[in-house]
Order: sequence, then C-alpha cells, then structure tokens
Amino acid sequence: MCSSEEASLLRLEEVFSAALAHINSLVLQPLLLTEPSDAWTRECLQLLQQLHQSSQRLWKVTEESRHSLRERLHHPDSVGLESLLLLHGAERVLQVHIEYIESYTNCMVARAFQGAAKQRSAHWRDQRKVLQQFLWAMGSVSLEGAVGPVLVQSLRQPLTHHVQQYVFLLLSLGDTIRENHPTRKLVVHAATLFGNLQSFMSQALDEAMATEALWPTLSSRLRDELCNPADRRLLQDSRDIPVTVSPLRADRVLLFRDSLVLLQGHHVHTFDLKLVWVDPGQDRDTLHVLTPEEEFSFCAKNPQGQVAWQRKVTQAVRQALCGKKDFPVMGADPEPPEPPACRCEAYTFQVEGRLCQATYEGEWCWGRPHGKGTLKWPDGRSHVGNFSQGLEHGFGICLVPQAAEDKFDCYKCHWREGSMCGYGICEYGTGDVYKGYFQEGLRHGFGVFESARTASQPCKYTGHWELGQRSGYGIGEDRDRGEHYIGMWQADQRHGLGVLVTQAGVCYQSCFQADKMVALSVPLCLFLLLLELLRPALSASPNPSPFPGSSVRPPRAQAGPCPPQFHLCPHRQLGLGAFPVESRWRGVYGPFWDFVQAGCPGDQQEALLGFHVQSSKELRKSQEYLCCERTPPEDSTDSIADLLEQLPQHREPGALQQYLKKALSNSLHPLGKLLRTLMLTFQATYSGVGANKHLQGLAQEEVKQHARELWAAYRGLLQVALQRRGQALEEDEDAETRDLQVHRLVLPLLLPSFYPELFTLYLLLHEREDSLYSQGITCLSLFPDTRLLEFLDVQKHLWPLKDLTLTTNQRDSLVRDKCFLSAIECLQKMITTVDPREKLEVLERTYREIEATVSRVLGQEHKLPMDDLLPLLIYVVSRARIQHLGAEIHLIRDMMDPTHTGGLYDFLLTALESCYEHIRKEDMQLHRVPSRWTAW
Amino acid sequence: MMAIRELKVCLLGDTGVGKSSIVCRFVQDHFDHNISPTIGASFMTKTVPCGNELHKFLIWDTAGQERFHSLAPMYYRGSAAAVIVYDITKQDSFHTLKKWVKELKEHGPENIVMAIAGNKCDLSDIREVPLKDAKEYAEFIGAIVVETSAKNAINIEELFQGISYKGLLARRPQLVALSLTMLCCCSLTNPSEVESRFLLHHLFSVCKIC
Repeated sequence: MCSSEEASLLRLEEVFSAALAHINSLVLQPLLLTEPSDAWTRECLQLLQQLHQSSQRLWKVTEESRHSLRERLHHPDSVGLESLLLLHGAERVLQVHIEYIESYTNCMVARAFQGAAKQRSAHWRDQRKVLQQFLWAMGSVSLEGAVGPVLVQSLRQPLTHHVQQYVFLLLSLGDTIRENHPTRKLVVHAATLFGNLQSFMSQALDEAMATEALWPTLSSRLRDELCNPADRRLLQDSRDIPVTVSPLRADRVLLFRDSLVLLQGHHVHTFDLKLVWVDPGQDRDTLHVLTPEEEFSFCAKNPQGQVAWQRKVTQAVRQALCGKKDFPVMGADPEPPEPPACRCEAYTFQVEGRLCQATYEGEWCWGRPHGKGTLKWPDGRSHVGNFSQGLEHGFGICLVPQAAEDKFDCYKCHWREGSMCGYGICEYGTGDVYKGYFQEGLRHGFGVFESARTASQPCKYTGHWELGQRSGYGIGEDRDRGEHYIGMWQADQRHGLGVLVTQAGVCYQSCFQADKMVALSVPLCLFLLLLELLRPALSASPNPSPFPGSSVRPPRAQAGPCPPQFHLCPHRQLGLGAFPVESRWRGVYGPFWDFVQAGCPGDQQEALLGFHVQSSKELRKSQEYLCCERTPPEDSTDSIADLLEQLPQHREPGALQQYLKKALSNSLHPLGKLLRTLMLTFQATYSGVGANKHLQGLAQEEVKQHARELWAAYRGLLQVALQRRGQALEEDEDAETRDLQVHRLVLPLLLPSFYPELFTLYLLLHEREDSLYSQGITCLSLFPDTRLLEFLDVQKHLWPLKDLTLTTNQRDSLVRDKCFLSAIECLQKMITTVDPREKLEVLERTYREIEATVSRVLGQEHKLPMDDLLPLLIYVVSRARIQHLGAEIHLIRDMMDPTHTGGLYDFLLTALESCYEHIRKEDMQLHRVPSRWTAW
Repeated sequence: MMAIRELKVCLLGDTGVGKSSIVCRFVQDHFDHNISPTIGASFMTKTVPCGNELHKFLIWDTAGQERFHSLAPMYYRGSAAAVIVYDITKQDSFHTLKKWVKELKEHGPENIVMAIAGNKCDLSDIREVPLKDAKEYAEFIGAIVVETSAKNAINIEELFQGISYKGLLARRPQLVALSLTMLCCCSLTNPSEVESRFLLHHLFSVCKIC
C-alpha cells in the first residue's frame, strides 16, 4: 500500500517541476537574452549560463523522481518503495541540488542578476508583477522593490521550500514504516541527507550574502583584485571579530574560502590557504600563521575571538586542501579535524634572496619545503631532490645552465643543509667530470677530476681536495704531455715532494714549489741512462771469481755477488719515504671512519657509498629528465642495518673468508665500495704512464697497506655491529694476529683487484732478468731430455727412463718433454692463480711430484738432498717455460705471509729463485753449449 | 709453554762431504711427535729445548756442486747460523770450507754463527785434515768446531747445541764477552784437549747464569 506521504511527495515534485519550468521561461531565458556589452556583463552571462545548466539538471532529476513516484503509486504492489529515486538515488539528487546552489550563489555574489537585468530593465518592470505572483504562489511574502532582489528571491525560494518539504515528508514517511524494515533505513538516510542539505544551503547563502555585502565596502580597485575567482566566499572578516596582526601590519583581515588576505591601505597581501599553517600559540589570545615566506600572528581581543579565528582558518585550510566544502556542515564541534601538516603544493618565492622567483613544487611541512620536491629558478637553474626545513638535504640533482650554450652543469650529490656534502658526481657543461666527496659545497676529501677529452689541456686528477682545491697527496695526469705526477699538492699546485714520470719512461723524484720543480735531488734519469750504457762494459770485464779453484770452467760473468749499489740501481724505487703509506689515501678511508664512528647511521649510508645507479647510461638519462632512478638504500638488501646484522654471523675462518669475498665484490657494501675506490686510485697511479718500474716499491707497500686498512675497516664495522646487538666488543687483537689475518685472509682476497697493475710493475722491474731467463729457456728447450739431464749433472740413477730401453740415438731424438711431466704440468699451474699462498702450494705440489717420480724410479722412498734436488728442479723449471718467472717470484716474495720466512715455503721459493737465477746466468754459458754437446 | 725461537741454519760444503747425512741424523735421531713437513733431505726442521726456550731449527741444505756456488747467497741470507761441513778425509773440502767462511764474512748476514763440522770422523785412519788445523782455523775465525760422524752419530747433537747456545749468546751482547773470555781461558789452560762437550757445558752454565 502506498502511504499518503508518497502521494504528497508526488504532488511536491509535480509542483516543483512546474515551478522550475516556470522559472526557466520566466526568468532564466529572458536573462540569457541579454547582449553582453562589457566585461562584467559577459562574465554575468557566463555565470547565468552555468546556472541555467544546473537548473536544467535539477529539473531533469525532479522529473525522474516524479516518474518513479508515479510508477509506485500506480503499481503499489509490483513496485517497491526502494525504487523511488529519492531513496535509492538520494546522493545524486543531493549533488544536483548542491550544484544548483553553487552556481546560484556564484551569480548572487557577482550580482549577475542585477547586471543582466539592468540592460532590459523595461522588460523586467513589466514582468515584475508576474514574478511576484509566482513567488506568492510559492508561499513567500511578496517583495516590494527593485527587480534584482525579486529575481534573486524567485530563483531561491522554490528550492528552499522544496527541500524543506522533502525533509518533512521523508520524515513522516519514515514514521509510517515499521522498525527494522530495510526501506526505513533508506528513508531515514535520505531525510538526513536533505536535512544536511538544508543547513548547507543556508550556510552557502549566508556566506554568499556576506561576500556580496563585502564588495561595496572595498574600494573598486581592491574589489576588482579580490572578486576573482567567482566562487570566492568570505568566511571571516576582522571587522566582525577584530584581530591585530604582527609583525606584518594590516588594517583588515579577510578570510576567504581559498585565501587569507591582509589589507593595509591599498596594499593587499594574499596567502593561498593551501600553504598556510596555523599554530595555536602558547598565549591564549594569539594565533601563529606560517606561510612559505611570512610568519605572523593574529592577536584577538579575547580568547573567544582567538578560538573563532583559529577555527575558521583551520577549517578553511582543511577545505581548501580538500578542494570542496564540508558536507555535512561542521557544527560547533569542540575538536574539528586538523589539516595535514605535510602537503604537496607549488609555490613561487617572491622575497629577495636565494630563492627569489624560484618555484618550488613538492612536499611542504610547516611552511617550508620538506620532503621530495623540485625547485626551479627563472634562470634555468633547478634542483630536484630531497629537502628539509626549506633547504636541500639528502640526495639531489642540481642543474645549472651555462651562459653561452645549451649545456648544463649537473650536480648529482648529497646535500646537507643547503650545500653539497658527502659523495657526489658533477658533470660540467664543459665535459669535465668530478666524482668524489664534498663539504659545504666545495670539493673536499677524496675526489677524481677529469677534464673533457676535448679540453685544451686534458688532465686528470685523482687525490685529495681541500676547500675546492687540490691539496694533499694526489696523482695528476697531463694527457697532452703524457706526464704523470705522483705527490703532494697545495692550493691547486704541485707543492712538496713529488715523483714525475714522463712518457719516455724517465722518472725522477723532486721537490716542487708552486708547480715548479725546485731541486732535482738526483737527476736519476741521467744517472740511470749512464748506468744502462755502462752495464755491458762492466759485466764484460772478467770478475775475479771467488773460487779460483774452480778453474775447470772459464770464469762466468757475474758469478760473484755484484757490488751492492750496482745491483740496486736499476731497481731503484722512488717515493718510498716521501709519501708514508699510512697517510697516503686517508681521504678514502676518512669518510668511512667518520661513518663508523657515527655508529653507521642508515641515512648517511648513501652519502658515504655514493648512490647506486645501474649504469652510466641511466646516469646520463637522469640528467636529461631530471630524475634519477636510484636503488634506494632502504629497499635494497644491502641497507647498512642488514649488513651489520649479518656481519657478526660470519666469524669462523671459513665463513669469514666467504663473507669478505662477497662483501669485497659488492660495490654496495662499505668494504666493497672502499675497495672500488682504492682500485681507482691504484689504477690512476700505476697504469698508463704510471706503469714505471721505479714505482714498484710504492705500489707494493700500498697494496699491503690496503689489506691492513680493509682488515681494520672490517673490525670497525664488526665493533659497531656487536654494539648494536648489545654484545661484548671484541678485544683489540695483537699485532701478530692482525698481521696473520691481513696476510692469510685479506691480502689474497684483495690481490686480484690490484694484480694487473701490480704485476705489470713487477714485469717492468724484472724485464731485463726475465729476458735473459727466457733466452736461457729457449736454449735449454733445444736439448732432448736426456741431454738436458746430463747437462744439469742429474745423477743417472735418478733419470726416469729406467723402464725405457732405447738406443742413444732414440733417446736423443724421441725423449723430449717426457721426463717429470707431472711435475712440469703442476708447476705450470702457478700462473693460474694470483694468490701468493696458492702459488706456493703449487710449488710444494711440484716438489711432491718430483719426489714421487724419483721414488718410483728408485723403487723406494728417497729423501732428496739439495745436491740432487736443485738440478732436478732446474730441469723442471726450464721445461715448464713459465714466462716472466722473475716477476712472479718477486711478487710472491713481497706478498708472502711474513711468518713463512725461513720456513718451508720460503725455502721452496728460494729454490725456485735459484733455479731462475741459474737459468738466467747459465745463458752466457749456453752459448758454447752446442759445440760442447756436438763434440760429445 | 716455552717461547719458540726459529733459527734458520744453512748447510754449506762440497758435494759428498755428508751435509744432508748430518741433518738426517740430527732430525731422525729424535722422535718428533708432530712431524713437520720437509722437502726431502733439503729442508728439515727440528725443535730442541735450550735454556728456557725452545729452538726450532730450520735447516736449509744447499747444493754442493761448484757450479751452484753462486746461488748460495740466496740460501744463506737471513740465516742465524751456517754449518760448514768438510770431509776430514779430503783436503780439498777443507779448502772449500775456507772459501765459504771468507764469503760469509764478506757477504753473509751480520753476526752469523758459524759452525765447522769435520764429518766422517769414523774414518780417521784416512784423515787428510788434522783436527789441529781445523781448531786453529776455527779459533781464528771465532767459529764452533767439532768433528762429527753422521754414520755413527758422533757429536751431531752437540753441533747443534753449540749453535743454539752461541745463537743465544749472540743475542745478548753483554754475555758474548764473558763467553769469549771463558773460551780463551779454556783454550789456554787446555790448548789441545778442549773437548767440545766440556766447552758446551761451560757455555751452558753461562746461559744458566744469565
């Protein structure tokens, strides 16, 4: 059954629909006929058109509702109550009403009716009577007076009446439905919505009226400035609730829906509410307002005034941020919701200063850029990145355009409080690149500067900086002249001790002052040249053999120990005392230790390690698009907290080795990063022109120092990790264990990274010896096995040819590379590894192979004395034909664990070295060998 | 736990004088629980107590062939002691010994302890080098001298003990003078019959005192 309320609702809709049609034909259509004569009327017309459209929509919805009601009334049994549009589509109906109200109030504030009506005032005078009749029919008191208010009234009256009736009828409809019925809920909901609409409407009308009333009180200039946009409404006026503003001065404060306006004479100060933060002050009478550039406080006459203002401003800010008015209207809630402190907005700074005319777009907090954002200056400069308290802080990319060309200086850096601090990469428009650490915006600490290849004086500097200048130990490469300077710098100039290597390979150590060489301590180049020239002459002169008794053989050259200085000169090493190895690369270790001492804070990880970008291509892309796809440290598995968590879990020797191996190969790990940087410095120093044999000593001690430092770095991290876990710290280890760990554990892991450069230096240093040695090898390889064994005085019973019955001829021709094959093959494996310890183990295995072969030949275990072993070893070494054996031997000896000194490995290495020496020196003797063995 | 001091000892001498036999005898006579790795008879180790510390001998053999003499400096560099062996039945080997001593004095490590071992003393019938010559020479150069027999294990232990104590003294310079005077006294009072055992005993007591 249908209730009477439903019938009344239908009637209501019918009446309203008719009223709307009436208004349309009577008011809106004639108004829209107005000819736009000036800007104002044009604007009015636009607003009226919008009103017309929303009125049409309203009419359509009413019709729909009417239709649904009629259906229901005609077929009460088949059509349920819930099919009414008013119930199931209450939100839609409501929305249409709100829209109508908005456009209506817009027209009202802009006095559009008055404006439009003015033009055809005669027409409206005639229509006045009709309108008044219409209004009277709608139940309103008739209005006397101007056309404007009548029009205003005629457009509003039917609506307010209609909504009021809605609420009334819906409520009584609700009462007719029994409790718990599902449709009752719908009806109550709709009634509440329309009830809210009523208050919303009245508030909107109040605001509109207040705004409309405000305009005449302002000067026309101010009005023109403030009346846009059309939906601007006055929310609070200091004339109603007086406040004084300090430190800014203002006669009047106006709070609009979208902005806060301070008026001082003719001066208008407008603040966008989206960037206004309200901080209720300590004092009950004042209210602090924060904006991007201003900070002021409102002082009310009494606490009530302060509360009213605070409430209004807070609400306005919140609504401005939401972009719409509250619905339902906020009542006198004691605790209204606060607007969020962090917002995302764009703003252009006006005040003179660093940020003048710059536009910031991004996250804000309490009036300051805070979080991610982009800052753009009108001159093209821009900064994308993290901000804190209004300053660049954290990772950021800064682009600075170059005056002349379409090029940018690109700084990809870490910033602290507005200046570059920590690791950064700067690509300058000129093509120069700096990668390294900064402090307070200047290059400071370790860094690599490389000028563009096209630069007039291409150069590269790898080393220490101080306040933007090259200072401290560093490597300078002059690509044009092919010069390589290794040494001390000061104020961008070579200053102090330094080693200069030229492209020709001449190398000297000297003292520099202000980029000039002051004293060539030893003109080593000349000295060396002289020595090289004299060397053949010296070696040709018959040395008195220390064994005159051995005159069976002609005296061999260099048989006796050479006078020491002669021996040393070609191997002279430079820079050894000049640059103490402990402090040589302290700029590389410095940031790491600062980081460790600060307890490894996660937010500094990136500033230390540098940001991780997948490829250089991506880095270049980042410059173009002003963004950088970094792997955020907190997301990756390598965040410092995780690293520290894992670190103490691997402390058993095996696990530790595995862990360190992994860590050192991972550039995201602090240790791995250190190693990368050290490799960079090592390559910068010792590759290219720097690959000079006189620098071998410098390089060698540097590698060992790196191993020590990395071990210390690991220990440092371990201590922090243990501290975090609340475990007892490890005791300081004594020097002996440290040396042991460094040589056994770290050095083998480290060596592969430095091996190419280091080995090259050894190669160069032992070039001469190695060439003699390979000559010897070549000569010896001409021998058949038996001849060689014979030549080396290996006792015949040790020859592994017992089981072969061959004629002498066959022996000579066939048995080639057959004897001690297993030992030879074993020894050849020495060059497959870079680890000195593994090389020594190969050597030991080689010996075991010899011993096994000998035991097999003799049919019993035989302990080889040196008298037998050395010739056999020489045989094996000469057959293994390892290139650059001298370099290998010296590298092993330098990198060998010092605890092995005098021990088994030392002995084996010495034995190998003596074989090498013998083969090298035998060369002279071998020249007469063919005659000797053809005469056999 | 006594401190272990490593002593690198280098063996010098002609081929066939029995360098490695001496070492083999020295190392094998003693039963060593933890057998340290060796390189045949060319590199061996043995640990013996001496005073209040342990001395670990790292014994490096060298090739005695004349053609390898020039390689010897590599082996004796860094040695604490050198044992120079000659064959008492071969005058030539004693000759070579003198050359080794000369070379060690000139190019060998400073303060190297030299010990002269006249091997094959079991064959004293065919002796070519009188003990007196050896002793005079040793006294002249300040070296330990003993006649040994690797075959019969005579004076092998003593040889190395002597090195041990002399090495010990060499590291404590204030005692060197004392021991030298004692040695002189001994040789003066008993010019020809100074037994090595007796001498070592004295040295040992010196060590005890300090």
